[in-house]
Amino acid sequence: MTKGRHNGDTGHRRTVAVDAMGGDRAPGEIVAGALQAARELDVQVLLVGRRDEIAPLLPSGEMPEGVELVEASEVISMDDEPLAAVRQMKDSSIMRAFEAVRDGRAHAMVSAGNTGAVTTGAVLRLGRFKGVPSPAIAVPIPVPGHHPQLLVDGGAVVDPAPERLVQYALMGREYAQARWDIATPRIGLLSNGEEAGKGDELRKAAFPLLQSVPGFLGNVEGRDFMHHDVVDVIVTDGFTGNVALKSLEGALRAVSSVVFGVFEQSPEGREASKLVMAPLLAAANDFSPDVVGGAVLLGIKGITVISHGSSSARAITNAVQIAADCARRGMVERIRKAVADAG
Amino acid sequence: MPAETHVEQQPLGPDDVFSLLRERLAEILEIDEANITREASFRDDLDADSLALIELVEVIEAELGERTVGFSVDDEDLAELHTVREAVDYVVARLAAAGGGG
Repeated sequence: MTKGRHNGDTGHRRTVAVDAMGGDRAPGEIVAGALQAARELDVQVLLVGRRDEIAPLLPSGEMPEGVELVEASEVISMDDEPLAAVRQMKDSSIMRAFEAVRDGRAHAMVSAGNTGAVTTGAVLRLGRFKGVPSPAIAVPIPVPGHHPQLLVDGGAVVDPAPERLVQYALMGREYAQARWDIATPRIGLLSNGEEAGKGDELRKAAFPLLQSVPGFLGNVEGRDFMHHDVVDVIVTDGFTGNVALKSLEGALRAVSSVVFGVFEQSPEGREASKLVMAPLLAAANDFSPDVVGGAVLLGIKGITVISHGSSSARAITNAVQIAADCARRGMVERIRKAVADAG
Repeated sequence: MPAETHVEQQPLGPDDVFSLLRERLAEILEIDEANITREASFRDDLDADSLALIELVEVIEAELGERTVGFSVDDEDLAELHTVREAVDYVVARLAAAGGGG
């Protein structure tokens, strides 16, 4: 495999480097998900991490076909301070996974580890596009029965300049077009009202700039999340984006607790659950972060998929699929061009 | 190493280090080199955040580490480097300590 081949490669199979040590359930669930991806998807997997912890998790103790080990002796924990960790742990699984992408051994990387360290590592090892001071986190929001919405930024930059929101819109637009085949994604600016003048200083300054972006429909509100009929890409700063994400998670948890709790409260409820529990669980599956898939760093010269910290094997398999799909669809080049064309 | 391929490198002085820092910082921040003076504050004048400074450190370590074995920046010292001049003085001192400074 030669360096640089991947950027323009139109071949079939893609290679994804998986940080085997990152996440609350690493390495067990991560390795299981990566092996499943290698079995079921048209991908090759590089498992990056400590040999002595990964080897016992392999069937027969050997690497299956389509899986290769890249050794890394250090592990950046979820609690480590990102900048210091990335600087000091150069032999960490996160940094070695990025180096596999940088050196052309992999088309993309997946990690369920420390988000700050992954973001910093991406900048240091893969680099940013010209004009992008730091990456944004694009988070898929589940929409039952439809493709997800995309929230940009999910928490990378808490106080961006107004111009950054235009970048978020352009990059999110490319992502939605490429991954979900939406011809003209509808783009909204998250605010506290639909009217153009609503919002804080950031939103008031960003609104007129965003009007040059094809598909921009104006302000959207928190209630427009998880509905397919209004907006495909929701743009905001990382502070409100992260608050919105966590609010959605909390609300979903509360609703599911109420709904499933009803079935335990009475004999009639328990009887009813026999009829509706299976379809309810199937419907709830649509909201699972393990199913919706990982977040993607936008503005980086390589594909980086961040799976949530408590990722299961299924979440990792899905994240690998997203990473490979982004590679197949030329996501990096598309986003680079979108940012460059905007000047 | 054969004598004819061995090129003795001159030690780097403060002006060389300043030029290198200014050039790399301009690339990272995407600003004109002319805006980067010795007196400039990384945060207040150049709007360089922690990530940008770490990028600078990594680039400088890679470049100077090639010519001066053992050159590195101690992360604990970064918090004390507020201006370009302080960074230049620091790098010059570290180069001297590593045996490659002027």
